[in-house]
Amino acid sequence: MTGWPMRLARILTVASVILLVAPLVLLIVFAFTDRGLANFPFEGPSLRWWRALLEEPGLGRAVRTSLTVSLTASVLAGVVGTLAAIGLARLSARKAGIVIAVLALPIVLPPLLQAVALLAGASASGFGLGLHTVIGAHLLFTVPFVIIVVHGRLSGIDPAIEEAARDLGAGPVRVFRTVTMPLIGPSVVGAMLIAFALSIDDYVLTSFTIGGGNTLTTFVWGMMRTSASPVVNAIGTILIVVTMTAAALGLRMTRYRG
Amino acid sequence: MSGTVSQGILNDRIWPLILPAAAVFLALGVGPLLWMFVISFWRVDVFRIAPDLTLRNYIDAVSLHGRALASTMALGIAVAAICTVLSIAVATVIRFAKPRTGQILLFLVLVTLFGGYLTKIYAWKTILGNDGVINSGLLTAGIISTPIEQLLYSPAAVIAAMVGFLLPFAVLPVAGALRAVEMIEIEAARDLGTGPAKLFRLVILPRIRRGVIAAFLLCFCLAVGDYITPILVGGGRTALYGQMIAPQFGTLFNWPLGAAMGFTLVVAALFTGAVCAALLDRVLR
Repeated sequence: MTGWPMRLARILTVASVILLVAPLVLLIVFAFTDRGLANFPFEGPSLRWWRALLEEPGLGRAVRTSLTVSLTASVLAGVVGTLAAIGLARLSARKAGIVIAVLALPIVLPPLLQAVALLAGASASGFGLGLHTVIGAHLLFTVPFVIIVVHGRLSGIDPAIEEAARDLGAGPVRVFRTVTMPLIGPSVVGAMLIAFALSIDDYVLTSFTIGGGNTLTTFVWGMMRTSASPVVNAIGTILIVVTMTAAALGLRMTRYRG
Repeated sequence: MSGTVSQGILNDRIWPLILPAAAVFLALGVGPLLWMFVISFWRVDVFRIAPDLTLRNYIDAVSLHGRALASTMALGIAVAAICTVLSIAVATVIRFAKPRTGQILLFLVLVTLFGGYLTKIYAWKTILGNDGVINSGLLTAGIISTPIEQLLYSPAAVIAAMVGFLLPFAVLPVAGALRAVEMIEIEAARDLGTGPAKLFRLVILPRIRRGVIAAFLLCFCLAVGDYITPILVGGGRTALYGQMIAPQFGTLFNWPLGAAMGFTLVVAALFTGAVCAALLDRVLR
């Protein structure tokens, strides 16, 4: 591509990158400003908002809850999703595609709708609300991600590699343990990291299914609604760094490219 | 046996492997939604919901909040359209710029896809507010003497924030579609004397049609379902449908109406989305 369409594409791309990056960068920068307002002129770096954050009651508990929920959800999603991906890899590409499309529906449906449905379902079924409903809600949208990533990796493996192992006398279990698993292992771990990033960042489903108490996101939401202090920027910075690091690591490991 | 891997282990047992994932989908996804569909025909008796078979909730969902529904669809179209245009540009650069630039750009898009949903929206308050970056910057520079109040709490602020977190969702399908366009097709067209604009319109756009439509629909669906953005940056002036559903399950305690509104939103979104997709399909051919 050349000429003015490419020039236009470049200009719009620069605008897009600014749109994507500027809010995050500003938020992080203002978490370290000395002023009470998050704006210019920027006055010297300071850690005062981080100290204020540490004194925030309830934060430690919210972090622990978030870790419990997201670690559980991502490990469960990793196991459930990988099993499904292995099963799907033995179907024809067309059939597997259809099953994946159906299982991935929760990603496209409005989270609000699923959140209130889970709320209604939990109260009707007598399960009640709590961390178990939050974990369940997170499985709903993390499992499809794991399936897509691991299935993508599985379908890229040359069947000849496993056949060679079989020809050399390895049994099916041994082939799986010594050939298949090492090949898909990084993708599985990567998919779990992505699931963790998605889980810890979820607000809508969490807020409706938790019943009582806070996760990191519901805690942040409370602060966003009640104050405009740079403490929000500090805690927001934590969320950004945690989720993006987990996602970036996960993406690297899965070598997922869209 | 058309599968590719680990033939042998649990060979005939494909479905048991899929079962746990299917169980999650059915028990936590489909089940609760069906239950909510049932509730949408019930009614509220003084602080509790009672079985009924009434269409009242659906009538209310449309008649009481019809305006919000319409403006939600319009806003969804605007957000999806902006995301789609920008995503075509970004995907084009990813595909045709130097490989290194393309890789970095793609990684940036993938990483910003995840993480900081609430934080990304909140950040726009920091940018657009009266004390925000733009106003304080303009004030300091002496370009304006009082802050421009309309920056925040306006439909434009909602659109900006939504485009900000939905754009990565749009780039991925377009970039995927563009990857399948071979250089040889482009060179062939160019050798035949096609100019860059015509090349883009007649060769590339028709080839990435499906990816573009997918990008539009994905952004549209996620935009109309979002109710956090209007709360944080829309103020009272931008009333979106989702904002009116959430309180039905909280303070207003009218689950049947909330459920009916939820399904009304989905049906309206499916219809609007289908019309938009058909139009795009025609235009891009």
